[in-house]
Amino acid sequence: MKVRTVAVYYVFTIWTRIFHWLMVGAIAVLFCTGLYIGNPFYIGSQGVEPTFAVNNWASMSTIRFIHFAAAYILMASFIFRIYGFILHRGDRMLPKPWTKLFWTGMLDMGLHYSFLRSEHRPYLRNSMARAGYGGVYGMIFLEAFTGFAMYGQINPNSWLSKLFGPINHLLLDEYVVHIIHHYVAWMIILFVIIHVYMATRADMSEKYGEISAMFSGVKFYDKEPDDVGDLKE
Amino acid sequence: MKDVESLWDLFQKRNVSRRNFLKTCVTITGILGLSPSLISDVVSAAEKQPLVPVIWLHGHECTGCDEAFIRSQSPFASDVLLNMISMEYMDVLAAAAGEPLEHHLQEVMKKYNGKYLLAVEGAVPLNDDGIHCMVGGKTFVHNLKEVAKGAAAIIEVGSCAAWGGIQAAKPNPTKSVSVSDVVSGKTIIKVPGCPPIPEVITGVIMHYTLYGQIPPLDSKGRPKQFFGNRIHDTCYRRPFFDSGMFVEKFDDAASKAGWCLYKVGCRGPETYNSCGNLRWWNGLSYPIQSGAPCIGCSANNFWDNDPFYNRMPNIPVPNTIVNADQVGIVAAGALTAGVIIHGALSTIQHKKHHKETHDTEKDNE
Repeated sequence: MKVRTVAVYYVFTIWTRIFHWLMVGAIAVLFCTGLYIGNPFYIGSQGVEPTFAVNNWASMSTIRFIHFAAAYILMASFIFRIYGFILHRGDRMLPKPWTKLFWTGMLDMGLHYSFLRSEHRPYLRNSMARAGYGGVYGMIFLEAFTGFAMYGQINPNSWLSKLFGPINHLLLDEYVVHIIHHYVAWMIILFVIIHVYMATRADMSEKYGEISAMFSGVKFYDKEPDDVGDLKE
Repeated sequence: MKDVESLWDLFQKRNVSRRNFLKTCVTITGILGLSPSLISDVVSAAEKQPLVPVIWLHGHECTGCDEAFIRSQSPFASDVLLNMISMEYMDVLAAAAGEPLEHHLQEVMKKYNGKYLLAVEGAVPLNDDGIHCMVGGKTFVHNLKEVAKGAAAIIEVGSCAAWGGIQAAKPNPTKSVSVSDVVSGKTIIKVPGCPPIPEVITGVIMHYTLYGQIPPLDSKGRPKQFFGNRIHDTCYRRPFFDSGMFVEKFDDAASKAGWCLYKVGCRGPETYNSCGNLRWWNGLSYPIQSGAPCIGCSANNFWDNDPFYNRMPNIPVPNTIVNADQVGIVAAGALTAGVIIHGALSTIQHKKHHKETHDTEKDNE
């Protein structure tokens, strides 16, 4: 048996890991309930007055409640993310387009993913992943802002409406906000497909412990990663 | 009207009783969305506050808002509200026409400078120096700016004046814009709708007449008491929405039973108006009540949010009609297939590479 010598890098704090899995659950619930809200159908036995049907286990009212509850859980889980972000450098691996490494790394990964380079340099988080995560955070914030813009208008005099209501005007009208919310939800799902694939791929071919890192917080490298500077001073 | 007088003066002049005057004040309080405790305020304002002179301009539009306006018929208030304003200039209702009327406009502007209320109906076309809408030989944008200068406040009546309306819909050949896009430095009240609810038009004018100040506005400049809530949140069909009971087609049993019109394109969830509570024609009905989904006529840019009878707009894909969900499912499917293929190719490359490095390692040994 061949023995592999690796160095252990503590990348993600427990707070980021908790956030990650809360986010996974919340987004799954948000997407499924969101699809229903966008194109609903009657669930339950026919011939019931709406007064009683609203108490069905899966009425529009219930499903909307689940959607809003999941949205609040996702928003609250950001507290963990922010705490980790402040606490530990490994939780701060942002895209850094002002560095040379970001662009050489991007080229490196591009060539590797298009099968033109059989191996890529070791990274704690490669440039493409950094850009992708930056993008998905952007999409989540866009969903949150458009979501609260619509939700807050239930009571146009509430502070929530005062805070987010102007977004409805910024984007022409509220109908456009609905559409953006709907389209971006699909884009997040497309991101999830790529993300799950890329993580699995990296885990299987590179043996850095890509997937387990989101449970244990550590990654294993035989060579020192190029972006180790983001972890150590 | 020669002299500016109050509503009570007007009632006395016409020999209408005090009792009827008070009844009218109660009605007005209700229409304005004010609390019943404010009735005494309304009464005292109606006794003392002089009637406001109103100039009503018509721009790029269809005069449909006038048709609505003259049908303001809230109990007992309709005639009163019409007579309450000292309407000095309105080209479609004036008995005079042509030069004498335009001359009168100039006089009124001078006489009530800084005091008159300006109601504008219609969009302002700017293309080709504004020649797409001419009144009295001058472009509408010129007239508007001139009259707006001396106005105490401006009311944008209807969606055209408030947002640009159908003229501003794609591709907007006349480059029509809203009144607030060309007039600045004035208090502007938006009363959108295609047309606005008659009682809403009169109600806003009424509020200004009584209080001498504009009603509380939302961040978009619309009076809160009429445009504060979404139609969806005041709709009598809302219980069907909450229960998940929807009309699927216009001729199905659900549509006959009066279920929610959300899935056949109702824009109630995005539209701010009083249709749900004031309704139309003396509270007779409103589109949703008559089984037609709301098209969002008081919303900005609603003409471009077509098709009106679909919940979601179609995505332009050649030779087919698809919405976001269908595109999303196909994209997600294609992407999944893509990553599977990419994964297979990666495995092949990885194995090949692994073998190569393994061989070179062996050679080195």
